Amino acid sequence: MPDYLRPTALDDALAALVRRRLTVLAGGTDFYPARVGTPLDDDVLDISALPALHTIEERAGHWRIPALATWTDIAHAPLLPWFDGLKLAAREIGSRQVQNTGTPCGNLCNASPAADGVPVLLALDAEVELASVEGSETMPPAAFIRGNRETAVAPDQLMLAVRVPKPRAERAGAHFLKLGARRYLVISIVMVAAALEADTQGRVACAAVGACSPVARCLPALEEALVGRSCDGALGEAVTEVHMEALAPLDDARAPPPTASMPPRTLTARTLAELESTM
Amino acid sequence: MSGTGPGSATAFTVNGRPVTVAAPPLRRLADALRDDLGLTGTKIGCNAGDCGARTVLLDGAQVCSCMVSLAQTAGRDVTTVEGLAAKGRLNRLQRASLRHGAAQCGACTPGMLIAATELLRANPRPRREDVMDSLGGVLCRCTGYRKIVRRGAGCGERRPATLAGAPAWRSRRRAAAEARRRAQAHRGRALRRRCRAGGRTLALHRPLAP
Repeated sequence: MPDYLRPTALDDALAALVRRRLTVLAGGTDFYPARVGTPLDDDVLDISALPALHTIEERAGHWRIPALATWTDIAHAPLLPWFDGLKLAAREIGSRQVQNTGTPCGNLCNASPAADGVPVLLALDAEVELASVEGSETMPPAAFIRGNRETAVAPDQLMLAVRVPKPRAERAGAHFLKLGARRYLVISIVMVAAALEADTQGRVACAAVGACSPVARCLPALEEALVGRSCDGALGEAVTEVHMEALAPLDDARAPPPTASMPPRTLTARTLAELESTM
Repeated sequence: MSGTGPGSATAFTVNGRPVTVAAPPLRRLADALRDDLGLTGTKIGCNAGDCGARTVLLDGAQVCSCMVSLAQTAGRDVTTVEGLAAKGRLNRLQRASLRHGAAQCGACTPGMLIAATELLRANPRPRREDVMDSLGGVLCRCTGYRKIVRRGAGCGERRPATLAGAPAWRSRRRAAAEARRRAQAHRGRALRRRCRAGGRTLALHRPLAP
């Protein structure tokens, strides 16, 4: 019979991870679907009873989204326009039922290529906060996610939070668009997130765009092309096919390769255009 | 450490009634409700959170009970479709479902009712968009959703309590019905135009409004 541990103190959870390999369970929205038709025989560490992991907090220099904050918590939190992209992802991921139990941290840990939270957090230059009995460390999502459902989290580590740095410019916003076969209950074909910071002259001081491939990626060539441009209503037109070369579109049932390069460019252009119109 | 071993029992509340389920803590709440508690109103669908058939309320929020562990319900409040009617009397949402004809096979109905319950408790007069957002996580293969959405949006419109309010209410209802007839007629004309333009004859299973 498998073991099910549901500690109420973080130290106990971290100590348990040292003793043996455990599957971490939070919202369950990836855990259970992956086990349909198979026996539930994992040894589980359920972190849902750990304290102080629910509330989204503003700290010096960043906002902290802890491990048990759900997508619904994100959608309802009084956050800056800098989080508008994350809020859109929060209201489009899965369904209302999934949003009420699923978490951004779990979304990162599952590391699906279609994880809606990943491009947004890439665009926001977020960091993940990992803890073990040895101490804690932070790393950017790009380093944390190594491949399709493969992360850098060690067996004895627990993700405690994701930290979103505060924007440096006063005018800053983010946006998120998702292409799927339907509005809800769909795995994304392509999703794009963009974040812009503009200085007082309306020039784009910083830009980051994340789009879908086996691992969501930023588009550094596009980001470089946008820096210094004015917010003149034409940022979307700056997107070219060359900028999409950083992607490696998936060959799967959602979109075969020959057409897979078209949606990311169109969606990226649309995301930038819509974001610019709100700033 | 407070842990739950394989032989533990989980105590929680279902439809206002305290229960204890002796089952593995990793067991899906959906299976505990149907098989251990005999509450078969919550239907079986994909079992993977992709259809919404297993939707229940957990502390008032709609969740897919096929993705919630039994252990995580400890001390919490679960509402299933069986808990909507009070003392055998259907609630207003259920009566609206009957009035609008918002069910055919019934497989999605418990999930739809639960999702709508969450919405109406927070927003007694939802717009159509609010209904679609809240019910978007429950799939229906039969109805085409229109009557389900209409039920959800119309449920908030109460019959007026006094005769003074009745004429305006009836007027709104007539206007809404007329708008639906015009929309259906427009769709019928558009379909016939496409049939002629395409040069093909389509079999129409029922006559369209002129």
